[in-house]
Amino acid sequence: MSDGDERDVAPRSLHETPAPAAVDPSEEPPAASAEREARWVADHTSETRDASPALGTHGEPAAWQRAQPGAPVALQRDRWADAAWSFLYKHDTRYGDAPADLEAVAQANRRGRGGEIGPVHGPVINAPVWTWEVPLYFWFGGVAAGSSFVSLACDLGGDRRSAAIARKVALAAVLPAPPLLIADLGRPARFLNMLRIFKPRSPMNLGAWSLVAFSALAGSAVAADVLRRPRAGRAFGAANAVVGGYLGSYTGVLLATTAVPLWARSRLLLGPIFVCTAAATGAAATRLTLVAAGLPDGHPTRTALGNVEAGAMMTELTLATLNERRLGRAGRSLEEGTPGVLFQIGKWSVRAGLALRLARGPLGPRAHHLASLLYLGGGLAFRYAWVGAGRTSARDDEAVARMARGAVTVDDDRLGRRREPRLRSTLRRPLTRAGAVGAYTEAVRRASLLVERALGRSEPTPGAEGTGRSVDSGH
Amino acid sequence: MTTHASPTEIAVDRADAKRMGFFTDTTVCIGCKACEVACKQWNDLPADGAQFVRGGSYDHTGALNAATWRHVRFVEVAEATPQAREDAAERLAAGAGGRLPQIPANGGRAASDGAPDLVSIAEAGANGGVDVAAAVAAMDEWVFMSDVCKHCTNAGCLDACPTGALIRTEFETVVLQPDVCNGCGYCVPACPFGVVARDHEDGRAAKCTLCYDRLQDGLEPACAKACPTDSIQFGAYDELVAIAARRVGELHARGIEGAYLYGAGDDPDEELAGGLGAFFLLTQPPESYGLPAQADSPIQENVVPATAAAFGAGLLAAAGAAAAFVLAGRRPLARGPRGLATRAAIRRWQR
Repeated sequence: MSDGDERDVAPRSLHETPAPAAVDPSEEPPAASAEREARWVADHTSETRDASPALGTHGEPAAWQRAQPGAPVALQRDRWADAAWSFLYKHDTRYGDAPADLEAVAQANRRGRGGEIGPVHGPVINAPVWTWEVPLYFWFGGVAAGSSFVSLACDLGGDRRSAAIARKVALAAVLPAPPLLIADLGRPARFLNMLRIFKPRSPMNLGAWSLVAFSALAGSAVAADVLRRPRAGRAFGAANAVVGGYLGSYTGVLLATTAVPLWARSRLLLGPIFVCTAAATGAAATRLTLVAAGLPDGHPTRTALGNVEAGAMMTELTLATLNERRLGRAGRSLEEGTPGVLFQIGKWSVRAGLALRLARGPLGPRAHHLASLLYLGGGLAFRYAWVGAGRTSARDDEAVARMARGAVTVDDDRLGRRREPRLRSTLRRPLTRAGAVGAYTEAVRRASLLVERALGRSEPTPGAEGTGRSVDSGH
Repeated sequence: MTTHASPTEIAVDRADAKRMGFFTDTTVCIGCKACEVACKQWNDLPADGAQFVRGGSYDHTGALNAATWRHVRFVEVAEATPQAREDAAERLAAGAGGRLPQIPANGGRAASDGAPDLVSIAEAGANGGVDVAAAVAAMDEWVFMSDVCKHCTNAGCLDACPTGALIRTEFETVVLQPDVCNGCGYCVPACPFGVVARDHEDGRAAKCTLCYDRLQDGLEPACAKACPTDSIQFGAYDELVAIAARRVGELHARGIEGAYLYGAGDDPDEELAGGLGAFFLLTQPPESYGLPAQADSPIQENVVPATAAAFGAGLLAAAGAAAAFVLAGRRPLARGPRGLATRAAIRRWQR
């Protein structure tokens, strides 16, 4: 028996321990932080990591069932009595002997949080987990919203045929949006839960609803056009331009309402910048489609579309430059790494497009088509740059810490004093748990779980479904 | 009964419930990580592949994430103080042997070249190379802090969640319903404390529930139960704040002037996210522990101005496009034969 043999060997004395073998250089951590991070990721992927919990599923509290319904837990005093408030530091210790002086505590807190800033031991916040689908969705949503603006403008300008084509472009551009959004979810089968509640304070929830409304209106408008109901088509198109005003801009709000310094500090300009990209790419996509459909050179619609895309792109460049100026330290992530390169590519594409448009005379109308393509490509590069730079910015612990500091002490003039929140928790709508709304949320939750089960990604343990009923907080 | 969070937010009715929280006193934390283990065990959380790395930090967990809901942060500011260095140099000169303790000051994330790391010190110490006692004595700047979800009064994740998976419970804690979450990932950057994370294998977001299942049965959370020094104290929020205030007074009286509370006892206009359900007693600047000096729900701070600016810009863009078309329609076309051809083409398009 090998066990017995080992037991016979006398334990070696600590002092006789041989010197550790020379360290294999491959065991040493890589010097560069990027390499260390890459190795961490490699060590944490499924191939090398045993991520199976002993029981139940990860990401949720343990599921267990009581042997006797309603029975108390053995050897425990009721109502958290065993926990109150410490088992060690009773009144016979000198743990908290001093009287509670709340004014002194408030002062100490002010000193502690407002004093000298030391080294930042990050990570302070978590970086966004969104992958490539999200910026691509932003781009498609922007094209759709921009096309809806164009269709309304065409109708107002009296060009009915172009308006109908613009509505088709809007529908075509919005079609890839839902699949992209669903693909980005961690649990794609549960996409229905986005529409489980109506929550105006969450830009993502409102965005999901506006995407549904936009798709429905765009589909109805195109259907009305095809069925030769031009008035209905125009009405749906006009309504869609209003919804498009939100669909094209909420993505900027979504990014601005996070703790990521680059996005949060751009809160007033991010939405307008995204709208400009939306208008320019929408106009460019519609313009190219109309030209392919035979819209003649010199037609007012063609001229106007050229002016809209150029004007929107110039505004976007101006706003982006303005934003960079006031960002200070937090803007650095727009200049570094891949996002920085993408940002430059976007900027130079747009500049090249504007130059081609000015040089249009000698180069002919083809130069203008190339300009439209450059705006579309530049817009896509901007979307990827903004989302990617947010990831770098969140990992920039110094920037995160400084943004928070700006709210306490003015150690960076650009940061300014603490802002008073405009939307307090107290402004929430009271809960509606009963009735039709409650039944609807519960039905959506169950439908999501059914879809998930049908697609083969079900919960391994029965009863591990959280509260087991639909619960919501006020919105 | 008055609540700290908005009463319209509390999703579960229970007559005898009140706000429950954690008071984590870092001055008595010994960095044993029993809370991490207890949390993992109770909540069936998987291992996250943590390992000691040569030249790295003793804090091999690193940060809170989807599978680590309690994390004992080791603040290894152990770059020896000038006094400690002098003492060690004297001991060296007196023939005590060994080298000067020098431990990377940046949490071990980028060990400077040639500096012995903690593992080598320990290994060399076992071989009689270094005076371990002296090295340990120089580590008086080590600080431990058991970090956890703050269960904010103004919770950014709760505001962000588009599915209603995140709720406010009857204990005024913030809990994620795993059966509702679809893994959209919005709560991850919306948390100003870097607490919520999405598990890349499970696909859902996850975070501390303040052991909601235990609380419902009158038990204290697993981490507080396991803490051997009662650095993690659990109880009714108001009682905890009173105890914490007395503790701060006691520490001040003993000469530790730098002690302060992070997340409780502030003046109303200086509160962190409206007050933290899980608050801390700290002795270093918050950034040393990876905490922001000020924080609030990013949505409550930004959503109104950002939406106003963005939607306004959207309507302006639509109006601008319309104006461009109306102006272009009014512009006279070129004269002469080219103009005639254009006019004919336009008529053909319009038909």
